[in-house]
Amino acid sequence: MDFESLFQFNFRPLCLYALHYMGDTETAEDIVQECFMKLWEKIQQGTEVGNRRAYLYMTVRNRCLDQLRKKGLKTESLKPYDTYGIIDDDDAVERAQTEARLWTAIDSLPPKCREVFILSKRDGLKYEEIADELGLSVNTVRNQISKALKMLKEGAVKIFMFFFA
Amino acid sequence: MSQFEDRHLDFVLKHYKEGAFDTKKAIERFKTAQGIGSPQRRRLHPAAFAVPAAAALLLGVFLFMGHDSRKWTEITASSSHQIAVLPDGTEVTLASGASISYRMKDTREVRMDGKVFFDVARDETRPFEIDADGAFVKVLGTEFMVDASGDAAAKVYVEDGKVFFAKNPDSEGVVLTKGMGASIVEGADAPVLDETPDINSIAWQRGSFIFENTPLKDVLQCLSEYYHVSFVANDLSKRLSGEFGTDDLDLIIELIESALDVTIVCK
Repeated sequence: MDFESLFQFNFRPLCLYALHYMGDTETAEDIVQECFMKLWEKIQQGTEVGNRRAYLYMTVRNRCLDQLRKKGLKTESLKPYDTYGIIDDDDAVERAQTEARLWTAIDSLPPKCREVFILSKRDGLKYEEIADELGLSVNTVRNQISKALKMLKEGAVKIFMFFFA
Repeated sequence: MSQFEDRHLDFVLKHYKEGAFDTKKAIERFKTAQGIGSPQRRRLHPAAFAVPAAAALLLGVFLFMGHDSRKWTEITASSSHQIAVLPDGTEVTLASGASISYRMKDTREVRMDGKVFFDVARDETRPFEIDADGAFVKVLGTEFMVDASGDAAAKVYVEDGKVFFAKNPDSEGVVLTKGMGASIVEGADAPVLDETPDINSIAWQRGSFIFENTPLKDVLQCLSEYYHVSFVANDLSKRLSGEFGTDDLDLIIELIESALDVTIVCK
């Protein structure tokens, strides 16, 4: 796989992976970007990197831990933020990919549908509040949310790695 | 691929931000940082981003001398579209097969062929001039597309800003602003405004189609033209709004089918 494809396939999953540690999209994205740079430079210098994906996950994790350490957190107690129990590397990669697909699926929702969905599920607004804010009927809000869920359930399984743009 | 679980969705939703984790932008950022795609400070290793030859984004960059001994630099996109940054900071996206050559010192001059999208860096002391064989475009700083790929006409579509569009530097032209388009028909002396400029004429550059209450018939027409296949639906009376990535046709069709509750088939 050439480097650009490696980037394309893994950027978003790696961001989600980093997000579990950092809890902030911008920091996560910067870290992933830096790790791609680092790998690129290594390859340019002629270093053989066997499994580039595994290498990326490893460097992203290390960099996340470094930054958290700098913030003064105790490393012994460092576990990926928001993780339910300890998960092994393979599981972490798979989880990152699943979440990246979901992210992509949310991106692909029709804008109105996404807006309603986000207000409800992320921001925790009640159907009535969303209806008020957007000037919709409660029924429409309910329909949009169930439509979004349906599309996500169908879409997330179908969106494969190449669709992370 | 396994079905996702609620905890995955909960996590994604908790952090979801529109426009974050944009792979395309990240790749551009990466390339810019590495000087890839910018011929002036090209550090691109021959094997860099190397690819199976046929599918490659071949960025051919070479120099040749103009009559007045000022250098023109040429960029050609082969099979896929290619993004490059010119020395003045202008970003160009070349559709496959398009080429541009430029020289920039006291002026900013570009010659081009094919379909090219420009995001021109603002520099009021040096207007940006494009000569596309029968079409002349002059700008200060803006985003627009010049399409000189057709046999019969040159087209300009303006995404943002203000553009002067004429047949040649001395002839009468039109001033186009955001969302406007115009074309010069073969044999005509001046461009004519497009009454319904198509926002999706730059879908290839933006990486997405945008529909705003668009009749399904027009949506399918747009997709048919873009992918060179022909679609029909069982109910053409519906209308569609939304933005769809250009890189997965099957997904677009599925999303439309489920959003509008129609069946779409490929003829």
